[in-house]
Amino acid sequence: MAPGEKIKAQIKKNLPVTGPQAPTIKELMRWYCLNTNTHGCRRIVVSRGRLRRLLWILFTLTAVALIFWQCALLVLSFYTVSVSIKVHFQKLYFPAVTICNINPYKYSVVKDLLSDLEQETRGALKTLFGFSEIKSRKRREAESWNSSWEGMRPKFINSVPLLFFDEDETSKVARDFLTGRKRRVSGTIVHKASDVMQIQQSKQVVGFKLCSNDTSDCATYTFSSGVNAIQEWYKLHYMNIMAQVPLEKKINMSYSAEELLVTCFFDGVSCDARNFTLFHHPMHGNCYTFNSRINDTVLSTSMGGSEYGLQVILYINEEEYNPFLVSSTGAKVIVHQQDEYPLIEDVGTEIETATATSIGMHLTESLKLSEPYSQCTEDGKDVPITNIYNTAYSLQICLHSCFQTKMVEKCGCAQYSQPLPIGANYCNYQHHPNWMYCYYKLQQAFVREELGCQAVCREACSFREWTLTTSLAQWPSEVSEKWLLSVLTWDQGHQMKKKLNKTDLAKLLIYYKDLNHRSVMETPDNTIPNLLSNFGGQLGLWMSCSVVCIIEIFEVFFIDSLSIITRRQWQKAKEWWARRQPPSCPEAPPIPQGQDNLALDIDEDLPTFTSALRLPPAVGTQVPGTPPRYNTLRLERAFSNQLTDTQVPDES
Amino acid sequence: MGVGTQSPGLSPDPYPCPPCPSQGLMKGNEREEQGLGPEPAAPEQPTEEEEALIEFHRSYRELFQFFCSNTTIHGAIRLVCSQHNRMKTAFWAVLWLCTFGMMYWQFGLLFGEYFSYPVSLNINLNSDKLVFPAVTICTINPYRYTEIKGKLEELDRITEGTLFDLFKYNYSNTLGAHPRSRRDLRGTLPHPLQRLQVPSPPHKARKARSADSSVQDNNPQVNRKDWTVGFQLCNKNRSDCFYQTYSSGVDAVREWYRFHYINILSRLTDGSPSLKEDALGNFIFTCRFNQDSCSQANYTRFHHPMYGSCYTFNNHKNSSNLWMSSLPGINNGLSLVLRTEQNDFIPLLSTVTGARVMVHGQDEPAFMDDGGFNLRPGVETSISMKKEGLDRLGGNYGDCTENGSEVLVKNLYGSKYTQQVCIHSCFQESMIKECGCAYIFYPKPKEVEYCDYLKHTSWGYCYYKLQFAFSSDSLGCFTKCRKPCSVTSYQLSAGYSRWPSVTSQDWVFQMLSRQNNYTINNKRNGVAKLNIFFKELNYKTNSESPSVTMVTLLSNLGSQWSLWFGSSVLSVVEMAELIFDLLVITFLMLLRRFRSRYWSPGRGSRGAQEVASTPASSLPSRFCPHPTSPSPSQPGPAASPALSAPPPAYATLGPRPSPLGSAEPSSSACTMGEP
Repeated sequence: MAPGEKIKAQIKKNLPVTGPQAPTIKELMRWYCLNTNTHGCRRIVVSRGRLRRLLWILFTLTAVALIFWQCALLVLSFYTVSVSIKVHFQKLYFPAVTICNINPYKYSVVKDLLSDLEQETRGALKTLFGFSEIKSRKRREAESWNSSWEGMRPKFINSVPLLFFDEDETSKVARDFLTGRKRRVSGTIVHKASDVMQIQQSKQVVGFKLCSNDTSDCATYTFSSGVNAIQEWYKLHYMNIMAQVPLEKKINMSYSAEELLVTCFFDGVSCDARNFTLFHHPMHGNCYTFNSRINDTVLSTSMGGSEYGLQVILYINEEEYNPFLVSSTGAKVIVHQQDEYPLIEDVGTEIETATATSIGMHLTESLKLSEPYSQCTEDGKDVPITNIYNTAYSLQICLHSCFQTKMVEKCGCAQYSQPLPIGANYCNYQHHPNWMYCYYKLQQAFVREELGCQAVCREACSFREWTLTTSLAQWPSEVSEKWLLSVLTWDQGHQMKKKLNKTDLAKLLIYYKDLNHRSVMETPDNTIPNLLSNFGGQLGLWMSCSVVCIIEIFEVFFIDSLSIITRRQWQKAKEWWARRQPPSCPEAPPIPQGQDNLALDIDEDLPTFTSALRLPPAVGTQVPGTPPRYNTLRLERAFSNQLTDTQVPDES
Repeated sequence: MGVGTQSPGLSPDPYPCPPCPSQGLMKGNEREEQGLGPEPAAPEQPTEEEEALIEFHRSYRELFQFFCSNTTIHGAIRLVCSQHNRMKTAFWAVLWLCTFGMMYWQFGLLFGEYFSYPVSLNINLNSDKLVFPAVTICTINPYRYTEIKGKLEELDRITEGTLFDLFKYNYSNTLGAHPRSRRDLRGTLPHPLQRLQVPSPPHKARKARSADSSVQDNNPQVNRKDWTVGFQLCNKNRSDCFYQTYSSGVDAVREWYRFHYINILSRLTDGSPSLKEDALGNFIFTCRFNQDSCSQANYTRFHHPMYGSCYTFNNHKNSSNLWMSSLPGINNGLSLVLRTEQNDFIPLLSTVTGARVMVHGQDEPAFMDDGGFNLRPGVETSISMKKEGLDRLGGNYGDCTENGSEVLVKNLYGSKYTQQVCIHSCFQESMIKECGCAYIFYPKPKEVEYCDYLKHTSWGYCYYKLQFAFSSDSLGCFTKCRKPCSVTSYQLSAGYSRWPSVTSQDWVFQMLSRQNNYTINNKRNGVAKLNIFFKELNYKTNSESPSVTMVTLLSNLGSQWSLWFGSSVLSVVEMAELIFDLLVITFLMLLRRFRSRYWSPGRGSRGAQEVASTPASSLPSRFCPHPTSPSPSQPGPAASPALSAPPPAYATLGPRPSPLGSAEPSSSACTMGEP
């Protein structure tokens, strides 16, 4: 062949018939595999031997699968947290300390309100249990009691009668202790004492019955012990009475700060009742909070140890205790944050009289990550429960608020031991005769999680907690008792008439054990750079691939392939059109039908413009719409064969 | 690819084999050129269907050429393929070695980190409805004194005598007897309590009895510090004895009494009538949980030899009936009023008054010794709990056991595995092995009986020896017993208040005594109140998770690899392929040499035919021996016609269509082709 042929061949070789302009997808793939930087692909093409090629295809696909799998694992584990625990040593802010007397109101003051109730309780005690020397059976006592209280209207017993239940009978005969008449118990008996009672001699259970408005639906509550029954029954009526007393009067009935706090020391400096703020708790009366951010200053301790904490001596006047409402003597103390509500009923620590109680604190601060790492809430704003406490959010506050809200919804009034929601009143018998029944039902539903409170309330993301270590000592000691008590009596001289007794006093020390403050923080385990570098690692490990490779793959497999397919489809459509109207389409190549048909290969060398000029078909510069051909491939090889100047007969 | 081909060494000109007309080489060249240009490897297409299953290169050179032009390992190309510039080769070799070293150093670090199985601590703060733990309460007194008095009479009498002898204490309120006359009976019990002189070593104190009596006249108060009190324990044939001594007389008497009490108890246990069922009402006056009364189903009772009747609340095997706490606080917990009178306590055994309470997980035995909490009479004790969980990773990450099934110690308690259970079982096991009897405070297997010095005379000696070995961990119990993987613990903190208050005590006492048909004589000391509740429903779970997982390890390896080498796992496969190819080619060449040496040239064709007909048949046809390899005995005459012969058709690339004809010429042509 002439040199001209060679040049043509050279030109042809260098003509861009590959790449995006490749005539078929197969060509495109081959071109991609030869030129990509991704490992494995090239080997598929250049390997010799079918098994080798197959193996290489397998290897490459495995690598791709592994990349996908590992990257999926990385993505799935993206939202994990790591916990870091830091111990700070610094000057610590002293927490707020709320102190309450266990007894809410001075009994001498509150007696007027409760005198009727007390009388009836004593009567009930006498009738039921023969309290105060009478040892005979109930019926007679009931009569005698009835006669002794002639003329008085026993309103409390009438509204919620105390009943006896004969335990061993299945028929549940209840006996009203007031009238002595037996009555059949209808409705559900909430049986609170089943088998414990069998060991007891009397085999009689005390309880009370709560009915809804129409009295057809009743629930009877029985108690294994008379002590519990009386206390519950008393508390029920007590709450009714107190719910009607205005707040100012209640505050006045309770203890003043000067009364409760005999001495006070903080951080080695004397303090007094002015450092305490009043906080009225429905069940514990007046409580006093130390360091509750008065004038926006929060006190702090300079040192750890009992010397530098809060030291108070509390006056617990045991004589003023309500005999039925509370049965234990002492005070309750709770350590909390300044903006937290002191849930003293739930988590308060009791303090014994005639004892020095030392409470060492250790602060732990916990910080959780909220969405999407966990379900916690930052400030409770996104929890659909209105916080009736107007304090910082916590899970317990939310649960209580939820219950109170439901209570107002269902029963029409609010429970006494929790704050009032807006526009609601505390429950009492005058206005809501059957609230107690409603309350008990609701509480059971709450415990069984039927109210949905537990599902709605979420935990808070950050909270501080003080771990308390309590230790006790006898106080005052025998030798110091005398002078100490007399000095304290002299101190309090203007308020107290009588001499102080050691069982009226309790000493309390609250201090930081050390100024170490531990904070447990969650931090995201993975960051985006981290994730990306892990991705990079995986891509590099299996295939030495990179983002550019991915773009390349996208380009080749989607854009170029699609364009090739559309080109061919377009071509087909055109052919089809041309076949339909052969004369009306002069531009179309006369025989494009052979495009895909190998059998028609022979006809492919048709006089197009380039072939007519004996030029190689410039596929890259081809007229849009001119189909790429297989014969370009074949041509190429034919040229190369010719280059060697050996006339090998081709397949043709 | 681009890097490889642009290096000067890779240009096709200096190849020794280009004129070689063999198709294998030809194809290789073509590929090179195609690689250079953007043109596709079009000519291969028709040959595809004729391709062999596996094809091998004919020579090392060809193989390396192929490898160099197609490999993806960075650096390796420069090293292997830049053969015409020694400087460059050396330079690349150094670089390659450096990066190689760096990479493997880093790999070593990464693997070292992974195989040390590091764990990272996770702290999960959960808040949930909590299952109330099991609560066990014991009356500290094992038996009513009136019931067991008969059995203990002798022991008490002797103790009394001993107390008088040693401490001049006239113990005469209960028995009201004459200690001096009773003293003679002291010998009826083995292991008498004696006073010993401190400086005297134990082995010399064997005559302590006589010394004791000789110093009896001295005033013991003067030099009290020089004396210790103890009792002697000997082995079976009394060849080895030692003294169990105590510095305080109170400890000595108590321990000594306890020791004898154990023996008496072991005789008692076999169906003794004095183990009368103690009714719950005699101990627990009221019981409430979550403002409901407790029922029979809520507790189980067992008898502890030291702590007496114990009641375990909320300890069901099936979890259907368990108490749940949905709210924290004192009103939502367990509240008990207990009887703590000690009128009928065993005077020398029970020195503590009150009750003992323990909080533990369900289906875990209550170890009152280990985790108990004493309650004071006349006081309301409020115990607030906080739950805390700990989950360890087992397996390679830590030494813990899921359910104790793989621990060698047999669980004698029949309960959930805890480390405590295991250690006690382990001790009991060694006790049975060493002493032949079971210690009464731990459960025993059926066939063994409890220790009693009437049956096992030297068990005391054995027990104290074993105890010593146990505490110095020569029994191996602490290594045998592994930690459980998940542990739930309850942190307790207590508050106290006086109960009942002065104003309410009258009616409370009256009511309690009335209802339980029991008169509370001692008023305040006769009762105690207990509240156990959850302080908060938040609970912390400390769990471990592997800090380096397989995924991150692979990612890190990949990062390092990419950083230093830019290669991948597939590159390694390439290397493996290269090595495989090398081996096969070497093998084939050796085979060929062997053949050509031992067969005559005439028979050589037959050999080739044989090779060709082997399953990997077409291999020799592609075979191009390396120029440097010594293959001297190639048939020369057959080569020259092959030189001028036209290149074989593409068909020869296939699975040997003409085995005889083309195998010979092509291989010989190659040998001739290299000058």
